[in-house]
Parts: sequence; C-alpha cells; structure tokens
Amino acid sequence: MIDDRKTVVVVDDNATVRALFERSTEGLDLDLVSFDCAETAMVYLKNNKPSLLFLDIIMPVMDGLTFLSELRRLALHRDTSVIMITSKDYAQDRSTANELGALEFITKPMPMRAITDIISKYINKI
Amino acid sequence: MTKSYVRFWGVRGSYAAPFPTHLKVGGNTSCVEVNVDDTVLICDAGTGIIPLGNKLVAEAKNKEVMIVLTHYHWDHICGLPFFVPAFIPDWNLTFFGPGDSKQDVKQKLDSQMQAPYFPVGTESWMANINYLDPRDAKLSIGSIEISYHNVHHPGVTYGYRIKAANKTIIYVSDNECQFLDKSIKQKMSEFTEEEQQIFQDMNREEYEYELNTIRGADILIHDAQYTPEDYETKRGWGHSCYVDVVNYAIDADVKELYLYHHDPYNDDDAIDNIHQKCQAMIQECGAPLICKIAREGMEIDLD
Repeated sequence: MIDDRKTVVVVDDNATVRALFERSTEGLDLDLVSFDCAETAMVYLKNNKPSLLFLDIIMPVMDGLTFLSELRRLALHRDTSVIMITSKDYAQDRSTANELGALEFITKPMPMRAITDIISKYINKI
Repeated sequence: MTKSYVRFWGVRGSYAAPFPTHLKVGGNTSCVEVNVDDTVLICDAGTGIIPLGNKLVAEAKNKEVMIVLTHYHWDHICGLPFFVPAFIPDWNLTFFGPGDSKQDVKQKLDSQMQAPYFPVGTESWMANINYLDPRDAKLSIGSIEISYHNVHHPGVTYGYRIKAANKTIIYVSDNECQFLDKSIKQKMSEFTEEEQQIFQDMNREEYEYELNTIRGADILIHDAQYTPEDYETKRGWGHSCYVDVVNYAIDADVKELYLYHHDPYNDDDAIDNIHQKCQAMIQECGAPLICKIAREGMEIDLD
C-alpha cells in the first residue's frame, strides 16, 4: 500500500506562528512538521521532500532567503514548492524569493483562511 | 598609551550629504570604528571609511583590520573603492557580511568596482583580502567578539552585537522597528476573535525577539532616519521612526542610544529638533536612557 499523505513543513522561529499552522491545518489530510530554525530544518530536509514548505525570513542565525538558496543547491529540492511567510514586506525580498523559485510571498499577519487556501491551491496541484 | 573607543566616521543614511547646513552632524555615509588597544573593527564601508582608511595608513599602528557589513546597499559599501589600506601590499583586510558563501560575499563587493561603474576592479587591491564564511555565527578580532542577527530591512541585513573592552555595543544601521506591530494593527478588524488573540501573541513574541537582540547594550547605535511625519509616507522603506527607536531602547533597558543613519534631507537644525523630541519622550516616561545624536567625529570612550 502506498502512503500518499502529503507533508507540509513550516520553518519559523515564532512559536505562535507554528501554533497558527497547527490550528489552521486541523482536520486536513496532511502531516504538518514544524521547525524553529533553518539549521534543524535542513537536517530533516536533506532526506525528506515535503509537498509544501512554508519559510520565514527573519530567524536567528540563518535567514530564510539564504536558507532557500542553500536548499536549492540540493538536487532533492530544486523544485520543492516553497511559500515565504514573513513580516518583511519589501520588494527586494519578494524579488529575491521569486528568483529562488518561491511560489508565493505571504505577509504576516495572515488569517487561517489564507493558510488553508494556499495549501489547497498547491497540494491539489501536486 | 593605547585606548579603547567607538568613533563615528559616517552617520548619514541613503547618500552622502556634504552640505554646509549638515556639517555639525556630518555628511559621510555609514561607518563606525571600534578600536580596542589598536585592534580595529570597522562597521560598514560607506564614505566614512575613506577618511578612516587615511588615518589608519597615516598612523600605521596596526595593518590588520576586520570590516563587517550590515548589507550591500550603496551607502554602506561605496567608500570601499577609495579605502587606501586595500591598495597597500602589507595590509590584511578581513570581510564579513550576509551571503551564502565566501565567494558570494566577494562577488557582492566586486560588483561595485566593475566597468562601466569604476575604473579598476578589486583585482587591483594589493592587500591580503580574506572573506569569512557568512555562516560563521561568531567572529572575533583580537579581544573584540562579534555576533550578528537578522534585522528588518530590504534584502538580508544584519545587526551586530560587539563585545569590546567589557562593553556591549549593538550596531543596527538599518532596521524598521515594530513593523509587524503596525501591520497587525492595520488589519486587526479583518480577523476573527481567535485570530486577533493569536496575532497579539505573535506580536508579543516577535517584539520579545527584537528586544533580545539589543538587550544588555551599553551602547546602541540604531537607525532613526524618520520623523513620525516622514514615516507616514515611508512605511515599508526599511527605516525606523525615532519614536519607535526610543521606545524600543527603553523597553530593552539600553543604557545609551545613539540615533544614527540620519536622513540626508535633514539638516543640523532638523536633527537637533529630533533629538529634543527624543529627550522629551524619555523625560516624560522617566526612563534612565541616555540618548545622543551620532555625529561624525564623535568618539565614545570605552575605557
């Protein structure tokens, strides 16, 4: 039997944001995996390819854009679906995220509906 | 006899402002020297690094320098092509800044010294140039220890925490304080009651993170480019309003705040006016914070 449950990964140092994702995805047929920093997320992502990756930008030590640049160098993640979630609503960050292949750029605060809508949009495509 | 100090060589944001009406505060762009017994750390390489380089060469006390860059916007790197120590063979320069590899940092610095923008490239630098791995979380030169954190400004931008001569100096040249707080307040009415509670918690947590990046500072050098009137039209440009900076410094129990990265539009009188308003705010809430205007040539004694 093939396990076709989808995995969504969230990388954000803000515990409330991670809790918001838990709450928003309650009842959805997917596994949510959360990390509070890029370094621990990278350990997981070296061997796992999620259906969708939500990524914060301002985090302690490695920022989300540098992390995404590193991630894209791994063959496994050249085409991983990535959504940026950030309070940094700047054109330069949007442009960099776009160049690194991020699908969307959501600014905080984002309502729960925005999270479920985007999951539906991209998980259904996969 | 040696001494330890912080000296402002450039205090302007955006572009150099060498206008007669601006010279009490200073016209050069971002550059701060942290000097501990002739060990030299330079924060940012705006036009202020040009006279600093000339001084270092004239003194020739120490030919090893570390330069940490907050980011690569012009006002923070445009002095480097004229930084004389880079062109002298027996000098050693170490660079650190945001990037995903040493090569990436080098490339970012090379880019501004390429045709048709500049007559010679970084290959004309004769000093020994060392680029540090941007993933090094902790740096040092001599007894000076440096760590960095990400701040709120377009592109990846760092603030630096510097331990020097038993003092903690925080250098945050460009940062838009409390951006999330304002975004939440703007959109609050669009959210459900549950979401409103979640976003208040998110905001508290985010602010606590921001406070931790500057907590314990003896000296905070922070972006204070805008007045409240400026900020109404320039929210989202990546710089702070002085009102937010003063509140931020008070909340983090900072001892001394130096208002920095002055708007080149503001002349000496305008900046003095900002300072007076900051002083009034501090007095009104009875905080022990000392607040000063960062002025070119100003030296803070660390001994």
